[in-house]
Amino acid sequence: MMFDWLTPTLIAVLLVLAGIGAVRRMNLWRAGQADKVDLIAGLMAMPKRYLHDLHHVVERDKYISRTHVATGGGFVLAMLLVVFVHLFGVDSKVLAWLLLAALVMMFYGAVFVFKRRLNPPSRLSKGPWMRLPKSLLTFSITFFVLTLPAAGVLPEGFGGGLLTVVLSFCILASLVEMLFGMTWGGPMKHAFAGALHLAFHRRPERFGGGRSTGLKAAVLGETSHGVAKPTDFKWNQLLGFDACVQCGRCEAVCPAFAAGQPLNPKKLIQDMVVGFAGGTDEKYAGSPYPNVEVGNAKGGPDQIITDGLIHPDTLWSCTTCRACVEECPMMIEHVDAIVDMRRFLTLEKGDTPNKGAQVLENIIATDNPNGFSPSSRTHWAADQNLNLMKDVQQADVLFWVSDGAFDMRSQRILRAFVKLLKAANVDVAILGDEELDSGDVARRLGDDATFQNLAKRNLAILSQYRFKTIVTTDPHAFHCLRNEYADFDSDLNALASVEVLHHTTFLNRLVQEGRLQLDTFKGGKVTYHDPCYLGRYNGEYDAPRELLASLGIDVAEMERSGYRSRCCGGGGGAPITDIPGERRIADMRMEDVVSTGAELVAVGCQQCTAMLEGVVEPRPVVKDIAEILAGQLIEEAH
Amino acid sequence: MSQYDALFEPLNINKLTIRNRIVSTAHAEVYATDGGMTTDRYVKYYEEKAKGGCGLCICGGSSVVSIDSPQSWWSSVNVSTDRIIPHFQNLADAVHKHGGKIMIQITHMGRRSRWDGENWPNLMSPSGIREPVHRATCKTIEEEEMWRVIADFAQAARRAKEGGLDGVELSAVHQHLIDQFWSPRVNKRTDEWGGTFEGRMKFGMEVLKAVRAEVGPDFVVGMRITGDEFHPDGLNHDDMKQIAKYYDATNMVDYFGVVGSGCDTHNTLANVIPNMSYPPEPFLHLAAGIKEVVNVPVIHAQNIKDPNQAKRILEAGYVDFVGMTRAHIADPHFIAKIKMDQVDQIRQCVGANYCIDRQYQGLDVLCVQNAATSREYMGLPHIIEKTTGMIRNVVVIGGGPGGLEAARVAAERGHKVTLIEKAAELGGQIVLASKAPQRDQIAGISRWLIMEVERLGVDIRLNTEADENLVQALKPDVCILTTGGRPFLDQNPEWGAAEGLVVSTWDILSGKVEPGKNVLIYDTICEFSGMSAADYLASKGSLVELVTDDIKPGVGIGGTTFPTYYRSLYEKEVIMTSDMLLEKVYREDGKLVAVLENEYTAQREERVVDQVVVENGTKPNEALYYALKESSRNKGQIDNEALFAIQPQPVLSQDAEGMILWRLGDSVSQRNIHAAMYDALRLCKDL
Ligand SMILES: Cc1cc2nc3c(=O)[nH]c(=O)nc-3n(C[C@H](O)[C@H](O)[C@H](O)COP(=O)(O)OP(=O)(O)OC[C@H]3O[C@@H](n4cnc5c(N)ncnc54)[C@H](O)[C@@H]3O)c2cc1C
Ligand SMILES: Cc1cc2nc3c(=O)[nH]c(=O)nc-3n(C[C@H](O)[C@H](O)[C@H](O)COP(=O)(O)O)c2cc1C
Ligand code: SF4
Ligand code: SF4
Ligand code: SF4
Repeated sequence: MMFDWLTPTLIAVLLVLAGIGAVRRMNLWRAGQADKVDLIAGLMAMPKRYLHDLHHVVERDKYISRTHVATGGGFVLAMLLVVFVHLFGVDSKVLAWLLLAALVMMFYGAVFVFKRRLNPPSRLSKGPWMRLPKSLLTFSITFFVLTLPAAGVLPEGFGGGLLTVVLSFCILASLVEMLFGMTWGGPMKHAFAGALHLAFHRRPERFGGGRSTGLKAAVLGETSHGVAKPTDFKWNQLLGFDACVQCGRCEAVCPAFAAGQPLNPKKLIQDMVVGFAGGTDEKYAGSPYPNVEVGNAKGGPDQIITDGLIHPDTLWSCTTCRACVEECPMMIEHVDAIVDMRRFLTLEKGDTPNKGAQVLENIIATDNPNGFSPSSRTHWAADQNLNLMKDVQQADVLFWVSDGAFDMRSQRILRAFVKLLKAANVDVAILGDEELDSGDVARRLGDDATFQNLAKRNLAILSQYRFKTIVTTDPHAFHCLRNEYADFDSDLNALASVEVLHHTTFLNRLVQEGRLQLDTFKGGKVTYHDPCYLGRYNGEYDAPRELLASLGIDVAEMERSGYRSRCCGGGGGAPITDIPGERRIADMRMEDVVSTGAELVAVGCQQCTAMLEGVVEPRPVVKDIAEILAGQLIEEAH
Repeated sequence: MSQYDALFEPLNINKLTIRNRIVSTAHAEVYATDGGMTTDRYVKYYEEKAKGGCGLCICGGSSVVSIDSPQSWWSSVNVSTDRIIPHFQNLADAVHKHGGKIMIQITHMGRRSRWDGENWPNLMSPSGIREPVHRATCKTIEEEEMWRVIADFAQAARRAKEGGLDGVELSAVHQHLIDQFWSPRVNKRTDEWGGTFEGRMKFGMEVLKAVRAEVGPDFVVGMRITGDEFHPDGLNHDDMKQIAKYYDATNMVDYFGVVGSGCDTHNTLANVIPNMSYPPEPFLHLAAGIKEVVNVPVIHAQNIKDPNQAKRILEAGYVDFVGMTRAHIADPHFIAKIKMDQVDQIRQCVGANYCIDRQYQGLDVLCVQNAATSREYMGLPHIIEKTTGMIRNVVVIGGGPGGLEAARVAAERGHKVTLIEKAAELGGQIVLASKAPQRDQIAGISRWLIMEVERLGVDIRLNTEADENLVQALKPDVCILTTGGRPFLDQNPEWGAAEGLVVSTWDILSGKVEPGKNVLIYDTICEFSGMSAADYLASKGSLVELVTDDIKPGVGIGGTTFPTYYRSLYEKEVIMTSDMLLEKVYREDGKLVAVLENEYTAQREERVVDQVVVENGTKPNEALYYALKESSRNKGQIDNEALFAIQPQPVLSQDAEGMILWRLGDSVSQRNIHAAMYDALRLCKDL
């Protein structure tokens, strides 16, 4: 055959081009900040992370998971074999047959990719992604045909010149997509970046079923804080952005997006890519930020992100609910990125919108977000006869009251919880006025300095007393204490051997131990709203449900529940920055509740309670689980 | 937190932390029966306030420390015996369980009581001067008796402490024995217990010392004093400042409660528990004046009714604690509702003074508009739970207080409720009652009920007169008739109602009939409507003579309410005539002649007037009832045994077809607002 050399040459050239592309891409990532990563271990762990963890997420969409196994698996195998069979010309029927099999598998997968793309859901990006199934089909068909002679099915040199020209063209087209595009920046980039992202992930704890949700501490005292320009991100964060497959699963779960606020986590990640690669967003072919036109955003690796690439309102719309992170098959960390950028806005520019600046000032001046007199922190408990740690020095349980202490609605939750603790004879104490705000709001608003200050001071107070367990009714404080304080506790070890629990977990134990006598609940239908900071942040989905079950309640689950729960809109300082949208997140959540037919929505968070109760009536009643339990408590006769 | 933060800042009295700034001040409840022992009723009454969030309850208004200060007239608490101690323990536990604090007012009433009963004591007073309000004659107290009473105070305080209460309040107010000694008006002694300032102070000081010595430094001992007796020969505000300072300097008093006005005449008594004719907090300045001179917290009650008012007073720092006593009688969940962000749902006291007017008659204290108050022990709820049984179609005919309460309770229970009212507005006779001068606030009763039925989604149909067909068409499971009554002018045909010679007080108050120039009101009832009509007419410029066959006009109105009517009527020169029957009215020369006859001499007099208004009570509107009765499955009957025991009506659990029919309020017989609402609540709470 006269063009024998053509196929290997094309393959070789494109492999080289892919190599060049890879070097370019890696240089883009390496413009980011250093981060300590164990490269070798990461690479070794990568296949397992892919097969197990990533696939675990992909699995949630059965259609695409099967499709991906066939297509992706087929391609990886086929490409390897193509190198042996067609580049190096290894003459092995076995290899050739294997290659054919891999290509059939890939073809089969690609057909399904093709079908999905016939009428794609709105969350999927279009543009080049519409081309991908065709490239996949071309690749599999082309190499199938090319391999038939090697497998001995067809004679060498069959078909003649025309076919050779067609095939060569197809080789070129598909390899440009599959090899060069992979590293230079086509849709296939996700495979390359994705694999490396898995290897060098900033939160390796997430693999193997772990959970890593605490924000990374900002290094204070540097010349600049937070992320101003793309190169301020860690290099592996940039790499992570590149792994995005634009599947839009994050978009589909984002409450801010649904509420018509100017945020779309997918677009945000794509804008990050535009930023570090340089250019504009005009090629972006997915849903925009609601009510923001695509095509006007510009960025470069060393340009300030909020000057032209992303409007600050986009960053302030996020409730830090982690729905996007939980849903992302590529395990991208949106919330980290958003808070990193908020840190710049707050700490460097002092541009926390709306009531944000006021709230931060309040926290600094009064150790609570609403600026209440610190000496009124324990007013709510004047009639509760609770021990103060400073009087008793030790107790089995430290009840972390949190800033609900200042709020009349939240105080009802606190009192209900105290009632239950007393009924179960728990040896409990509170810090009283020594307790400070946990720092949650400050941290989510980007003020890590204030957060760290509060954390250290709280830890110093905690370290003075002895207790085995901290229990709190506030999932936000719970998250800080459990997942974020450890970074500042290495000297004091205030929490080193302390178990931090949410009140539902603790109450569930009391119920299991038979320490609370509860009457069955006789009211109407009940549903349960998973608070983000309890569920996705801390994985506690069962205790609240078990508690409700212990009252004989058969929870009427919402469609969006458990790890897929929709945020109430109250997290991340969102009610404070209050970025306008088309609807209120809390209203949408209440619609979720209403659609179950429930008359009562149980929650486990004062913030969720406040948000959901803020929805205009008539609407179902909102109660914390502690309140529901306290209402069913059978008190011993005096 | 909220705009009401000022209410929720805890404050210590001595070492006792009070969770908020709201106090239910001492009031004689008249519930301590069985020789003055606190009953289950008493405990539940206070437990409800504590549950509702009240910071401090000072119970046992005028609880007596000695056996010669009669207890039985007001069934006040008897602290003169150790028998009370275990009762106190129950009371204290019940209140403490909900985080509240409870103290008791202890006193010797001296001359301010009645002697004709129980142990038939000789009443005692510093100088033996008679007290007019109770028509109480008394002896001059002797020194031996003083020391005994002082010792009795100490023993009473010990009993309170042993019973687990949080403190005692010494009553030196409302002209009890201590302030009888203080006041030069009644203390004319020349010995060491009178004369000089120190002399007049001595009895109270000895009481205080003895009590403090008995209970030790940490137990709360407070003192309730007047801020000004409002008598030229009594203690004025400066005197009271001097007295407060004098006692405060001992460091033995942990707080002062301050009340505006003396209390030993009918007219001053009315000040003490200001009814709806008074402005808000009329005597706050007196309490603020006392606060200026003492170093311990000051409590003041008197017409502080709503949370914003309380907040304003506290924020301005006039006093440290706000007494909201009747406010809690009307709604013991006052604080809880603020905390639940349900300020709109607070049932605000309207100052009808039904509570205190009953107390002065020796009757148990009840709230005109909240029938659950003090009936908690019988199972009458303040917070009505949804039914777990069937949802019924309830139709209520008549939007007076009885109908509104029935509709509210039924709707709270979760039933589908329709309320039909003939008039253009809801409220029934309360609408008329509120037309009189200084009585407008009574409309607060219906205003709250209307807000509640609206909130609860009751289907309200105004301008709709119900008849048999309309009721049947609605296919009610339960039909409640509360159609009230109409003026009963045809009892004596000689009055000439049929010929239009006389009109009713309703005609006048509603504005249906223009006021005449020269008006005679004939009032056989002697309650609010006749007095109100007289006041109304006089305020429109009519010359009014108010005639009754009873012993005096307004005699049916209680002790804190008739004085404010009298103030108004005398000022407007209304002539009040007693003991005369209206025999006949006839027309002559375009004028009306009213023929009056003296009940005791049969002597006749005639009055020539432009208008004769007759108030002779009401006759029930019962036509609709009789039209529906036969077709109802219970023949309109209410099982009184179940009703009085606050049990569900048996008919509710009987499995049968057809409509249940009940009738209540003035449509059965003329009674009052409380009666109509009580029946509505006890019938509907189990619906
Ligand atoms: C001037 C005045 C002052 C008073 N002051 C006091 C006081 O201070 N304290 C106190 O306790 N009591 C007072 N009362 C008495 C008190 O108002 C009544 O006892 C009380 O209102 C009775 O309540 P009720 O609901 O039974 O009937 P009502 O209040 O009479 O209400 C009956 C309602 O039914 C409506 N109705 C009648 N027939 C029909 C029909 N067929 N279809 C639809 N609707 C119908 C009427 O329009 C009316 O609104 C006063 C009365 C008056 C007139
Ligand atoms: C039914 C009733 C009984 C009362 N009895 C007493 C009493 O025995 N001793 C007393 O000091 N005050 C008594 N008071 C006065 C109250 O303590 C209080 O000063 C008064 O009700 C004004 O406050 P308010 O407007 O908050 O109701 C009584 C009040 C009421 C309504
Ligand atoms: S954290 Fe929640 S609100 Fe923020 S981008 Fe993700 S899904 Fe949207
Ligand atoms: S960020 Fe993750 S979930 Fe969102 S589009 Fe990209 S890959 Fe999909
Ligand atoms: S009876 Fe009247 S004055 Fe007394 S508490 Fe009730 S509403 Fe207030």
